[in-house]
Amino acid sequence: MDRPVGLRNQWDHPCRIHRRARWLLVAVICCGLTEAAQYSTQQKASKPFSIRATHLVGFENTKTNYRGTLSIQDDSLEFQQTGKSVAHIKISSVRDIFLGQESRQVGGLPLTLGEAAAPHGGGRVVSLFAHKKYDTLTLEYVDDHGGIHGAIFQLAKGHAELVKNELVAHGATINFHKDRSQNGRAAEARHENR
Amino acid sequence: MRTGKCGLSISFVIVLVAVVLALPSMMLGQTAAAKPSGGDGTSATHWSIQVDQVDPGNLELAYSFQLAIYENLVEELKKTKPFQEVIRDGDLKANEVPYLLMLKTTVEKYTPGSETRRAVTTASGATKLTVRTQLVTREGKVILERTVNGEVRFFGSNMRATHNLAKNIARAIKQSSRNELERPASALAGQL
Repeated sequence: MDRPVGLRNQWDHPCRIHRRARWLLVAVICCGLTEAAQYSTQQKASKPFSIRATHLVGFENTKTNYRGTLSIQDDSLEFQQTGKSVAHIKISSVRDIFLGQESRQVGGLPLTLGEAAAPHGGGRVVSLFAHKKYDTLTLEYVDDHGGIHGAIFQLAKGHAELVKNELVAHGATINFHKDRSQNGRAAEARHENR
Repeated sequence: MRTGKCGLSISFVIVLVAVVLALPSMMLGQTAAAKPSGGDGTSATHWSIQVDQVDPGNLELAYSFQLAIYENLVEELKKTKPFQEVIRDGDLKANEVPYLLMLKTTVEKYTPGSETRRAVTTASGATKLTVRTQLVTREGKVILERTVNGEVRFFGSNMRATHNLAKNIARAIKQSSRNELERPASALAGQL
C-alpha cells in the first residue's frame, strides 16, 4: 500500500522539480535566441548595404574620380551620389571580383603645388608623409549583350573586403582561375611599400 | 631713353599678343585645308572594332590594371572615332557587323612604380607599360601591329599609366587608319 505513495514522493522531490524547471528555462532561452537570430538575419537581408567609394574607371555612365556611395540592395549594385542613383548593375551579372591596394597622395592639386613651391626641397619631405593607403575593388561584369565590362572603385582601407563579402552573399560569382593576378597585386603592393 | 625702352617693350607685348591670337586661327585654317586632301575619309569609318581583353602574357600584371587598360581603350577609341562602332569583348552584336577588326593587346613589359617614390625623388618610381597591339581581321590576318608605351613619370597615380597607354594606342590606330584603312572597306576585305 505504501508503494504508490513512495513513488509519488519520488516524483515530487524538490530536486527533480528544480531540474525540470532548469531544463524548461534552457529550452525557453534557446527558443528566444533562435528567434532573435532569425529576426536579425531578416533585418540584415532587408537593410541595404552602402559604403563610401570613389569610382576610378569603367562603371557605365559614371565619371572618373567620382565620389559617391556604393550600395547593394536585393539584386542590384548601385553607385549613388547625394542619394541619386548614377548607375546600377545586376549582381548576378558580376563574373569576378578582385581586391587590391593602392597608395595615393592626399591633398590633391593644392598640396602638390604647395610641395613644389616649398623651398629647399621641403615638399619632398611632405610628400613622404602625405600618402594614404586605399583598397581597390575591381569588378568584372557582363552587359545584356554579353559584352565584358570592368569597373574599378577606390575605398577606404579594409572596406573592399566588406563589399566583396556582401556581393558574394547576394549571388556574385568569383572565378579562381585568375589567381596569377593576385601575385601581380602582391608585387604591386610590395613595390608601393618600398 | 627710358621712354624709348618702355615703348619698345609695349610694342613687343603687342606683337606677342597678336601672334598668340593669330596662331589658333592659322592652325584652324591648316586643319580645314588638310581635311579634304586626305581623301573622302569615310573608308576607315566603314570598319567596326572589337576590343579584346588584355593578355598579360607571362607577366604578373594586376587584374585591375588589365581591366583598366581594356576600359580606357574602349573609351579612347570611342572618343577618337576612327571606327563606326566600338564593340566590347564577348558582345553578341559582333556577329552581325560586316566589317569587323579585332584589337588584341598583349603586355610585353611592365615596370611597377610608386607614387610616393615619384613624389619624393622625381627621377625614379615611374610606372611603365609596354604592349604589343594588333588589329586582326575575322580571318586572322594582321593588318596593323605596333608596340606602344604608356607611363606615368611625375604626377598621378599608378593607374594613370593605363590611361596614357590607351591614349597612345588609340592615337597610333588613328594615325595608321589613315593609311592602312583608308582604302574602301570592301576592297580591303577582298584582298584579305
